Amino acid sequence: MQRYFLTRVGQSLLLLIGVLVLVFFLVRITGDPARLMMPREASAAAVEAFREEMGFNRPLLVQFGDYFLGVLQGDFGRSLHFKSPALDLVLQRLPATVHLAATAILFAMLVGVPLGLVGGFNPGSAVDSVGRLLALLGQSIPNFWLGLLLMLLFAVRLGLLPSFGRDEWRSVILPAFVLGLPTMGQLVRLTRSAVLEVRGEDFIRTAHSKGLEPGIIYTKHVLRNVAIPLVSVIGVQFGYMLGGSIIIETVFAWPGIGQLLEQAIGWRDYPLVMAIAVFTSLAVLTINLLTDVAYAVIDPRIRYGH
Amino acid sequence: MRGKWFGVFAILVVLSLLVACGPTPEPQTVVQTVEVEKTVVETVEVEKEVVQTVEVEKEVVKEVTAVPAPAGPEGTLTMALSTFPNSIDRIQAAERQAANASTQLWDSLLWINDDGELEPALAYDFDVSEDGREYTFYLRDDVVFHNGEPFNADSVVLTWERGANAGYEYSYYLERADSVEKIDNYTVKITTPEPDALFLRLMAEYWVVLPPQYYEEVGEEAFLEHPIGTGPFMFVEWVKGDHITMEANPNYWREGMPKVQNLIFRPIPESATRAAAIQTGEVDVVGRLSSEEAQSLLGAPNVRVISYPSTRVYYIAFNNLTTGVGQPTEDPLVRQAMNYAVDVDAIIDALHSGFGQRAPGFVAEGEMGYGAVEPFPYDPDRAKELLAEAGYPDGFEMDFACPAGAYIFFEQVCEAIQGYLSGVGIETNLEIMESGQYWDLEAEKQLPPLFGDSWSSPQGEAYNRLVGALGGWDASYSAWSDPTIDEYLENIAQAIDFDERKQLYEDLQVYMQENPPFIYLYQLMTFEAANTRVQNYHPRGAEDYWLMNTWVAIED
Repeated sequence: MQRYFLTRVGQSLLLLIGVLVLVFFLVRITGDPARLMMPREASAAAVEAFREEMGFNRPLLVQFGDYFLGVLQGDFGRSLHFKSPALDLVLQRLPATVHLAATAILFAMLVGVPLGLVGGFNPGSAVDSVGRLLALLGQSIPNFWLGLLLMLLFAVRLGLLPSFGRDEWRSVILPAFVLGLPTMGQLVRLTRSAVLEVRGEDFIRTAHSKGLEPGIIYTKHVLRNVAIPLVSVIGVQFGYMLGGSIIIETVFAWPGIGQLLEQAIGWRDYPLVMAIAVFTSLAVLTINLLTDVAYAVIDPRIRYGH
Repeated sequence: MRGKWFGVFAILVVLSLLVACGPTPEPQTVVQTVEVEKTVVETVEVEKEVVQTVEVEKEVVKEVTAVPAPAGPEGTLTMALSTFPNSIDRIQAAERQAANASTQLWDSLLWINDDGELEPALAYDFDVSEDGREYTFYLRDDVVFHNGEPFNADSVVLTWERGANAGYEYSYYLERADSVEKIDNYTVKITTPEPDALFLRLMAEYWVVLPPQYYEEVGEEAFLEHPIGTGPFMFVEWVKGDHITMEANPNYWREGMPKVQNLIFRPIPESATRAAAIQTGEVDVVGRLSSEEAQSLLGAPNVRVISYPSTRVYYIAFNNLTTGVGQPTEDPLVRQAMNYAVDVDAIIDALHSGFGQRAPGFVAEGEMGYGAVEPFPYDPDRAKELLAEAGYPDGFEMDFACPAGAYIFFEQVCEAIQGYLSGVGIETNLEIMESGQYWDLEAEKQLPPLFGDSWSSPQGEAYNRLVGALGGWDASYSAWSDPTIDEYLENIAQAIDFDERKQLYEDLQVYMQENPPFIYLYQLMTFEAANTRVQNYHPRGAEDYWLMNTWVAIED
């Protein structure tokens, strides 16, 4: 178990370095930040001076080395736009993003999993049909469109919910619903098919024939096996959500990381974009790691490397 | 098409009492009798707001009586911002939205009023020396900063010493002065290296005065955390990414201002969300709406739509420095022909639903010298004649580039221009490029010899835009150099006298009509929306506004 865990940590760190390299060079392909930062009427000489001052005229590899050493010491550089440490800006936005992501994933789980279970145990029932319809809609409706539509209905027409921001407890409802909906749909389908599959397995038939209570069969044998794919999907989705949802956060003016990233790209704020990218990867990798550990706990076969 | 659209628009406009900040007529003051309580009749001066629309069959003018201003600051005004301010320090506020939030905290020695004229502010008077290089400012002695610290000559000295040569966004506007000298407590002398016609305007906008004692005591970082000025509003808090809160300065030196107690700025980056938030009443003023969003708001209760031409001017540039050398466009007749060849009005109608106006040149409406020339009419026959005269009766071929996603429908505008040019025999190979790459190439002067862009200029004058786009090798984004234009610009920069400068702008435009460095395109309308309870809110052409004289009607 310990060895398994350490191997996974090592792999994650390597991946993180890969992300760092990739993001650093990709961001630079998009162009020269010096010109974007300086006012448009600034003279060519002033732009050159700025470039010099910021070190953008040094060879890329030197710049990368510098950056990498900084990151190792927890220094992600200063945001060009805000002139403050990039990491601080990300951390400032973190609570809002965690709040939204946690609410969304909770909603997806609390609605998606029960619907899928009911559907799986009673395929063809009315609840199953509703669940499958919701799953289809959730996974196929573009979320910026749905977000605006719900905003018009619940905020503008009915006046029940705020249209933007994070001022009160009701603020999170619309964005979390829209953000969680695709995951909810995925969970409905996944739970349903997993239940159907596990129910047909030999060991369930055995359990039935040896006279176990159906309640025990469902909770101890079926659910435990269904849990594995669920944990994996929930983990991956939650990891992505922690990176901030660019679209949802922008549409609802939710003061999180995704919205910051959208603006940072527009400003070509390299240090900030990179800090967000690294942080997002870190979130995904950490959650994946935890997911893998959870797997091993749930399913001993994985732990022993079979 | 244009007439119809404007007609429909105008009717809706009148019905919904839309206030359009057109150039004419000016807001006037009427005397209105208002009944106060039951027995007392009192005469109150109320500002009349005038709604003006574009001419349909006849000009429609609708008067709306404003709610009288409250005696003291009252209520809360919530302004939406369309991006996140990087800073609310005036010389670091990188773009318009940040500047708008920042402005409310500060004052400068002078102020540019709603008509674009300089007015005294913290300096009640000033002299200019014979050679135009020395300004002596006489300061008010009754002004205090938000923390009670008195304002005096030291404040002006600190402003300059801290801001100049310090690498802030707008340091170079402070660097336009060589020295700032304290003569006595309430007199300062500012010297510029040479006569500088723009100096006073730039000073009014960027030289906001800072409190020396407080600044020295807390240092730069803490000062930025909690900025203190002399302005109508005092800083309360800034929750990054969420809101900036300010409150009325009870000791403001302008009598009876400000008129709202709480002022809140909220960034809402998505324009559709801004359009929703103005309808729910969560915010009182939103800007940067699309024309569709503005139209959809026309029927909304408690919302009025405000529109005005923005000072951003769109153009297709020629190049005579690098890629355009040796091309037919070096001949002014060809450049004139290309201006005649493009039906800009049709482009405005088709792609911008008519919500724009032709730019007659490179001076925008509302700027000094505007109106000296008429836009080129659409006349393809004249274009062909001129091409023949220039020796290209069968036209020619040329490369052409435009940025993608940078400006609304600009790719389609460029495609339309390509079509119009083709109509007079000029075949262009249009390339639409990602905007980041595009601006890099533009700055390296390596774009094709025809390229599209736009330029905005906030100082009420076209000077920065002209220098920026026509400054030749010295300017980052210019691909054009013309010694005559250079001479005009040099003279404008040094012409302190108002009439002389205006004359120079007018003459320059005439010259630029005969020797066009661009295919002149258009200015678009900017759309904002305000809750009807907001009174006396007057945004200016560069989307800038001052809120000290704005108030909100309080429901009883």
